[in-house]
Amino acid sequence: MIRKSVLSILLLALACAMWASPSFVDLAAGVALFMFGMLCLEEGFKRFTGGPLENLLRRSTDRLWKSVAFGTVSTTLMQSSSLVSLITVSFVSAEMIGLAAGIGIIMGANIGTTSGAWLIAGLGLKVNIAAYAMPMLIFGVVFRMQQQRRMHAWGNVMLGFAFLFLGIHYMKGGFESLQGSFDLTAYTMTGVTGVLVYTLVGVLITVIMQSSHATLLVIIAALAAGQISYENSLALAIGANLGSTVTIVLGSVSSNLGGKRLAAFHVLFNLATATAAIALLGPLSDLVDWLARGFGIGNDDYLLKLALFHTLFNVLGVIGWSPFVSSLSGFLQTRMVGKPKGAEQPRFLSASALETPATAVTAVRREVEHLMENASALLVHGINLRRSTVDGDSPLLPAIRQSVRIVEIDVDDAYSEKIKALQNEIIVFIATALSHETTREAADRLYELRRASRDVVEAVKGMKHLHKNLRRHGLSSNPWIREVYDRIRLQLAELLRASRRILREEPGAITMLSLDEIRLEQRRSSREINDRVDELIRERRIPAAIATSIMNDEDYAQGIGYRLLDALKTLRNPDDGDAALAMALDPEDIHGMAGGTSTPAGMTRNRPGEQ
Amino acid sequence: MKAKRLLRQLNSFFDSDEKTQLKEIKAIRKVLKALKEKEKSLKKELQANSDPENAASLQTKLDVIYAQRMKGLDQVKRLRAQKRGDPEAP
Repeated sequence: MIRKSVLSILLLALACAMWASPSFVDLAAGVALFMFGMLCLEEGFKRFTGGPLENLLRRSTDRLWKSVAFGTVSTTLMQSSSLVSLITVSFVSAEMIGLAAGIGIIMGANIGTTSGAWLIAGLGLKVNIAAYAMPMLIFGVVFRMQQQRRMHAWGNVMLGFAFLFLGIHYMKGGFESLQGSFDLTAYTMTGVTGVLVYTLVGVLITVIMQSSHATLLVIIAALAAGQISYENSLALAIGANLGSTVTIVLGSVSSNLGGKRLAAFHVLFNLATATAAIALLGPLSDLVDWLARGFGIGNDDYLLKLALFHTLFNVLGVIGWSPFVSSLSGFLQTRMVGKPKGAEQPRFLSASALETPATAVTAVRREVEHLMENASALLVHGINLRRSTVDGDSPLLPAIRQSVRIVEIDVDDAYSEKIKALQNEIIVFIATALSHETTREAADRLYELRRASRDVVEAVKGMKHLHKNLRRHGLSSNPWIREVYDRIRLQLAELLRASRRILREEPGAITMLSLDEIRLEQRRSSREINDRVDELIRERRIPAAIATSIMNDEDYAQGIGYRLLDALKTLRNPDDGDAALAMALDPEDIHGMAGGTSTPAGMTRNRPGEQ
Repeated sequence: MKAKRLLRQLNSFFDSDEKTQLKEIKAIRKVLKALKEKEKSLKKELQANSDPENAASLQTKLDVIYAQRMKGLDQVKRLRAQKRGDPEAP
């Protein structure tokens, strides 16, 4: 309601101002064109987020200086700190990069955003920039009309720059014509009050326009037209910097704790930098004058001096904060702790993860891993073991033999609470991610992950039946029956130990290929159990009715194993893992190595009903 | 004749299939190298091992790696044959 009222008042005020002053129309059109240009640029660069940008981001953030350099360069190229900030929030939320790396990028983005001031002050207002806009506009439209994704993206980038340039041109004209009719210099304020008031004005303009770039354009154009004093323009630039935090704060609302911590850092960083800049405005201004002389910038060239000031206080802020990044990251992680979530609650599926195809895929992968963690805990309890036993290094057989009773667990209940509810969330998120603009590779990966989540759920369903028979015969007084059930439990315990270990490793070709070793061990173990059962039947040690139960249960155990290993194969396959997939062994290969003659039914790769 | 050859060379330059094959070969060779290293370290571990159960497990791992490497090498051969335009290529 408040939002709608504010918007209505704003629209009315704009209409009145445009009706009253034709110069204001030019001014407002300049800002509008500039902001539309930024939207086009964001749209264009977002289309590149299907791969190259993510790969570069992941590779360039292992050291702080690399993160800062990445933030600086990417923001300079894209001319949008908002896009870089939002992508960084989504990467930190999906745990694709750490908080410290995210902090580095945000600091770099603060430096990169000052390139806009240089572009506007150095080029925009001194050269007839609109002359460059027209050819870009024409080529941009031609490129944008192409079907090919990349061409379309380049079209948007060209259109973005064209509109930025046109915006600067109109803004310049608007302030020049405003000069005759309206004198903003009447509102010039000096001293501390002036600094504080103009900083606040800078914050407000940036919050309204949601772009520090657009605010800087207004400041520089006004300064060029002599409508504001140099001193007040410095305070406005500080305010613009401070106001830019609003974008990341709004973006982090829909993100998880990681994103919120990053937003908190951005607010702290900008607030501290702005406070330091206000407190040291005099010395900073002198430093700007001294550096300007060194760079050959004229003493009365206030536009370039403003750009220099903007860069200087951001660079000094980054230098000042750099030594504290790791301790600050630790501080935020210990102080900003979310409410503990239930195991059935999704941990990675947030709206900010939908920002790019790569973050959506990573968030889903992490959530399926979480689902698998829940499922494997349930399966461990299903075979009457503790998680600590399975996760430890001690031999499993003694622990299995020590069992004196099978603790009854309601697998149905646990399935509905911890597995099904989480799977539902994953399915809904995947459907939402697929409705967003995505790449073919990301869509394929999402389909694979959906199948992996189904495999995990099917494995738990298998335990429902197995647990029932384990409770009935698992601790039988007949030592032969007990021996075979102990073997089935051991086979599953070993599988769960290996799969939980692999789940803790990062995806990679070698990790994924190591699953074949587990498959082979499982296949051999299954053969040994079946041979032993045949032997016991021949020796009449176990009744035929129980022998068939054992065989069914061994089948369930095998099914659970295949489902879990198939899911793990998807989870541990790297995004560019086609080579590893080509080298993974087929069920026939495994069966042959285990000494079999035909492929068992459960081992076929494409099960009925699968996509 | 020269124009035809030039056209063929140009086609090959723009041929995305050929580029994809080269990329695939490179990726497989990278995994093959990593597998070879893992094989070497497992062999060392096997030599130093005295527990028969552990030795059997290590041998299983070595067997699997060997089979995977053979599959990878076959794949590289097949891709190379395809790249050469060998009609006998599988």
